Amino acid sequence: MEAVMLIEQIGPHGHLVLRQRFEGAGTECRVGRDLGCDIVVDDEHAAPQHALLTLLEDGRVSVRDLGTRNGTRVDGMRVPADAGAIVEHGDIVVGRTRLRLRTRHTPIGTERVFRRDFVRRHRTLLAAAGVSACIAYGGFLQWLDAPSSMLRSVLKAGLVALGLIALWTGLWALISKLNHGSWEVRVHVTIASIGTALCAWGYWVAGLVAFAAQWSVLVRIGVTVVGAVALAALYLHLREATHYGRRIALALAGAATLVIGAIAWIIAIGVEEGDVNRVNLGPEVRLGAERVVPNRDIADYLAEVDELQRTASRERQKSLLNAPLANADD
Amino acid sequence: MKITRLVVALWLCGFATVVVAQAEDPPVPDKVPAEVPTGPSPEEQAPDAEAVDAAAVDAAAVEADIASQELSGDAKVRLDAARDAVVQIRGYFDKSESSAFHGSGFAVDDGRRIVTNYHVVAQAVLYPRQYRLEYLASEGRTGLLHVLAIDVRNDLAVVAADDLELPALKLRSEIPAQGERAWSIGFPLNLGLTITEGVANGLVENSIEQRIHYTGAINGGMSGGPALDRRGRVYGVNVSVVTGRQLVGFVVPAKHIPALLARAKQPLDVALSAQQLRQRVTAQVLAYEAEVLEAPPDTAGTQRVRGYALPTQISRHVECSTIDERSPHVRVRVEAVRCRTPTRLLVQSGVYVAGLSMQHRILQSVGLHPLQFERQVNRLAAGPRRTGASAHVAPFACRDALVSLDGFDARISTCVRQYRLFTGLYDFDVTVVGIDDASQALVSRLALQGVAFETGKRTMERYLGALQWKP
Repeated sequence: MEAVMLIEQIGPHGHLVLRQRFEGAGTECRVGRDLGCDIVVDDEHAAPQHALLTLLEDGRVSVRDLGTRNGTRVDGMRVPADAGAIVEHGDIVVGRTRLRLRTRHTPIGTERVFRRDFVRRHRTLLAAAGVSACIAYGGFLQWLDAPSSMLRSVLKAGLVALGLIALWTGLWALISKLNHGSWEVRVHVTIASIGTALCAWGYWVAGLVAFAAQWSVLVRIGVTVVGAVALAALYLHLREATHYGRRIALALAGAATLVIGAIAWIIAIGVEEGDVNRVNLGPEVRLGAERVVPNRDIADYLAEVDELQRTASRERQKSLLNAPLANADD
Repeated sequence: MKITRLVVALWLCGFATVVVAQAEDPPVPDKVPAEVPTGPSPEEQAPDAEAVDAAAVDAAAVEADIASQELSGDAKVRLDAARDAVVQIRGYFDKSESSAFHGSGFAVDDGRRIVTNYHVVAQAVLYPRQYRLEYLASEGRTGLLHVLAIDVRNDLAVVAADDLELPALKLRSEIPAQGERAWSIGFPLNLGLTITEGVANGLVENSIEQRIHYTGAINGGMSGGPALDRRGRVYGVNVSVVTGRQLVGFVVPAKHIPALLARAKQPLDVALSAQQLRQRVTAQVLAYEAEVLEAPPDTAGTQRVRGYALPTQISRHVECSTIDERSPHVRVRVEAVRCRTPTRLLVQSGVYVAGLSMQHRILQSVGLHPLQFERQVNRLAAGPRRTGASAHVAPFACRDALVSLDGFDARISTCVRQYRLFTGLYDFDVTVVGIDDASQALVSRLALQGVAFETGKRTMERYLGALQWKP
């Protein structure tokens, strides 16, 4: 079997820039900025003649640095200037350019099942379902308020929901177009609308369950779930629209979720945190609803109220620490 | 150039004066409208005015003119007699030369003690290291004042200066009869010594503490000034006014002064630390509050509305009214019962304590879907916004639960917060929402301001105990 090596140049965002195939033992591949090289890199950190890759008899590759100041790295390890290195496959860094080297020795895994196939196959249906769920939630909120003109406010809520989804999806479609050349509108609509609908309806259901179970922590769990869904949606958007690998996409999505969450927190809660007039009434009441937890006895509840004296005292201490009283002798 | 500067300086002076006149008046407690004695409204008066014929009007005008001349002579005599006994009391922040607040006071007893309102000197009592008090006597004499004794309950204080001895005014401990002519002296709005004429209208009927209703002008800055009778004796101390109404003023009866004078031995603000002074104020509030909010002698009164028994008289001095409240939604009907103590105690500028207010609202759905009705109930339970400044109170600590009350289940949320300045004073905010019925709901709220924790809890127990569903 003839020796062969495949060299791929990977762009800064993980996408393929060029691919070159070399066959036959003894074949050499010179990498550098010089136009005479087999692989010409446009990288000011690379030398004109930077590295020499030689395909050996046994199918492996000898990597030699041609005496550069920045050196050549294979899988993060610097190639010794005199000896060179012999590798089967790996990431070669020349200057700041990344090359991926593969030979016949590189193990090839079995075929991976295409998991997102379902989304792609039913993207029209899924997108329509997601958008409908979002519009339905907007309409439902309006209906709860029992406005005087139901049609107009439901229509308004629907249009606002549509507009927001269009804006968000448009952004991702544009990124997708720039990276892949295709808009992938329906896929992004699906991710955005189903994510939003899950968050919205899930939060509402969490409120219902929180009242039934009398567990206000559940609302907080609801907020966490909303955050997780947002993270998942951002991750999927990134994977669909860019070339980023799993780890980078996850890290970016996580960072974005944290930033968005922090902004929401500052707007919604952070502002009110030190508010002396904020009362926490617990989960919203559901009239005549089934409840999982039995009612408390009045005496038990009053005993709990006693603890409020201590909590209030702690709040006072905290408040005095934040803003001391005007007189020094306290 | 110089002219421009002069104009700017003049303009600034004018601005400063306006600001002083508007903003630096001492707090004149704004009484709750419920307390305002209801007089005839302008519409009701109109027909009477039309019935008087032209000739009568002329005659009346002439008579009034003569009468007013006579009265002015009267007033001049009163003012001249009292002029030297009345001082303006000014509070200064730190080392500032311009006053932060001002009020009036008058000499009594041996002429070395000056009586004024507690609220005039409250800032200096609560922040003794930050504020200093000075007097401005006739002939422009000034000097440093010390607080000797305070009576938060009757809004009185005794102050003195080392070098000041004034002719004392005589006290009259009997309450003037209704219709007796009366005069009030003070320094309204920093405009200089002023006397106003009016009529004493006896004791205010629904007030917890004794207050004499004076129908005459009292304005900010006159607080602490003497209220005189026909013989020039002090029958009381100007204390407050109903703003936005006409000439409804209140006067603290002079009979509370001797007891306070007996306590006025040494300067409090020198002898006690700021903390001790605050404790003293707190102790007076707590003594008052324990009395006002104690359980009524007989069992708590209730009012029945739509199957609910709603507590009304849960404390001795509560007054209730049933009102037609504006509904939050056209398809929700609201019946409301509101109760409150008629007066509260002013303990610091803008801080009223020892107050109770209660509001029961029964909401009925008029064809709303249960989910929609639920939304309205939750919305109503969350509002109205609580009041309180972060300078005076710490944030609330809350506890909510579903509790079985007498005949119905309810969500009870209790929130408690402490006062920053006064250890031992708490605000309570209890919200009860009936959760059994999907087409009718009770939203009830009990709010207590500036009470001891124990009093608050006892009041809350009485309130929750009296709520009942018995169709």
